Amino acid sequence: MPASVLYFFIIHGVLTFPDGSLTGHCTGSTAMAEAQKKQAVLRAEPAAEKTVNSRFCKVTINGRRELDVPAGKSLLTALRDEKILVPTVCRGRGICGVCKVKVLHGGGAILPTETPLLTKEEQRCNIRLSCQITVQNDIAVEIPEPVLSVREYDTVCTEIEELTYDMKRFRFELKNPPSMKFVAGQFVQLLCPRYKESSEAVYRAYSIASNPNDNGYIDLIIRKAPRGICTTWCFDYLKTGRSVRLSGPYGDFHLSDTDAPIICIAGGSGMAPFVSMLNAMRDIRSKRQVSYFFGGNTVRDLCLQEQMKIFESVLPGFMFIPVVARPAENERWSGQTGLVTEAVQRQFKDLSRHEGYLCGGPGMIDASIKVLKGLGMPDEKIYYDRFA
Amino acid sequence: MKESPQEKMLEEALRSSKLVAGGFMGTDSRHPARVIDEDWEQLQKCGFTPAQTARRMQELTDLAAPGLGNWLEAVPGRLQVKSEDFKGALVCPWSHPGLFAKRITTARRMDTGDQIVWTDLNLHMIAEHGFFEGRGAFFRIEPADIVRILFEGLT
Repeated sequence: MPASVLYFFIIHGVLTFPDGSLTGHCTGSTAMAEAQKKQAVLRAEPAAEKTVNSRFCKVTINGRRELDVPAGKSLLTALRDEKILVPTVCRGRGICGVCKVKVLHGGGAILPTETPLLTKEEQRCNIRLSCQITVQNDIAVEIPEPVLSVREYDTVCTEIEELTYDMKRFRFELKNPPSMKFVAGQFVQLLCPRYKESSEAVYRAYSIASNPNDNGYIDLIIRKAPRGICTTWCFDYLKTGRSVRLSGPYGDFHLSDTDAPIICIAGGSGMAPFVSMLNAMRDIRSKRQVSYFFGGNTVRDLCLQEQMKIFESVLPGFMFIPVVARPAENERWSGQTGLVTEAVQRQFKDLSRHEGYLCGGPGMIDASIKVLKGLGMPDEKIYYDRFA
Repeated sequence: MKESPQEKMLEEALRSSKLVAGGFMGTDSRHPARVIDEDWEQLQKCGFTPAQTARRMQELTDLAAPGLGNWLEAVPGRLQVKSEDFKGALVCPWSHPGLFAKRITTARRMDTGDQIVWTDLNLHMIAEHGFFEGRGAFFRIEPADIVRILFEGLT
């Protein structure tokens, strides 16, 4: 490569930013050199040695917290190093699109790797993937407040209870810190360590099933997913007494602060946030009307029916409606049958005054939204926690 | 031929358990490119392409979705399908942007009982990369089985 070409790259590689602007370091360097010359004349002794190769940039979060971050680090890594646990699924490979933050200034232009994962509206508002931003100048970002209260927790698994053939409830006693403040409906991420079937430690998200008022432990209801890295570990390798790291709480799925009657719809491990919500309602002796439809394909997919009966006895407005799509011939089932959405349609003709809370897979969520809207429930009254 | 760094990274991602438990290659020691080539040849002998196959699988996934995990008849009396959602999401080992829901579709021939299962990520990998996974992998589908179960005798 000719020297002139190499020189070109050095100049433009080091002294320009992705947004095309020149750095303050560059424009200020001549004046700085002049000042240094003057100081050199005045000084009798050389100053103490100080290596200045590493340049630090300021990352301002929500206008009030400032971090000094070495230039060249990804924003996601810089934030996680400071225990600001912005969630990510792909661990910073720029393919999951989960680690979004709003950039107020700095950060350069949106990269081609980000555009497929950002809506036009998000791009207009300068929402960015924090894993794709390399900190090269001062940046101001806005991060949702709940993410700032996310912490890592050392826990010990103290109970494992089989709920169905493919679902278990795991209890994790919080050791350090010894309690977690969360709202019923939120979720945590569980750190699955490296093991025989996974070459890397990975975080996976699970809704909290425990009472937010008993915050010394966290219950998770987990359904085994074929070839799932974390569920395989939980089902086949995790034993009581084992230390487990959790982070959280995450998410904004929670009950509204109104008296509106509620329709809850869930299937499988979608049961978890509703157990937490019902516990919280019991503690405040809530009289709110709640109709909870829980769908299973067969009777053996149903779980926690005894616990639901207890909730029915202590919550005057609560009704649990298990629905079995197709009871097997040998299963004695006298309850509702068909799809869970059909059961909602049979029971209600007008849901315009209700609020809807849904937790489950995308298929069930989409079908439920269609049914609820068809029964007059306004869009803005439908809240959901969609798997994936 | 010498592997490029990108190809090496891809092979490592496919063989490792970074993205799914057990990886995508199973016990298959063949190079991923060879797996893709040989599966393509197998499909071609049956008169199909990966794109056609993926289209048919996508149609069946869409047909199965309203059943919310219950069997529906895609071809009356001949072919049943169901799809189930699991919590979480998967990413493409080729680093395509986006998340793929952990949705598992099963198609079962009612005459023979033979069935195959696939995920939304399988659909993407077949359509975009002609990749049916390595032998011994959990979701490996033999191209000939797809043809036999999803196409033969159904039209």
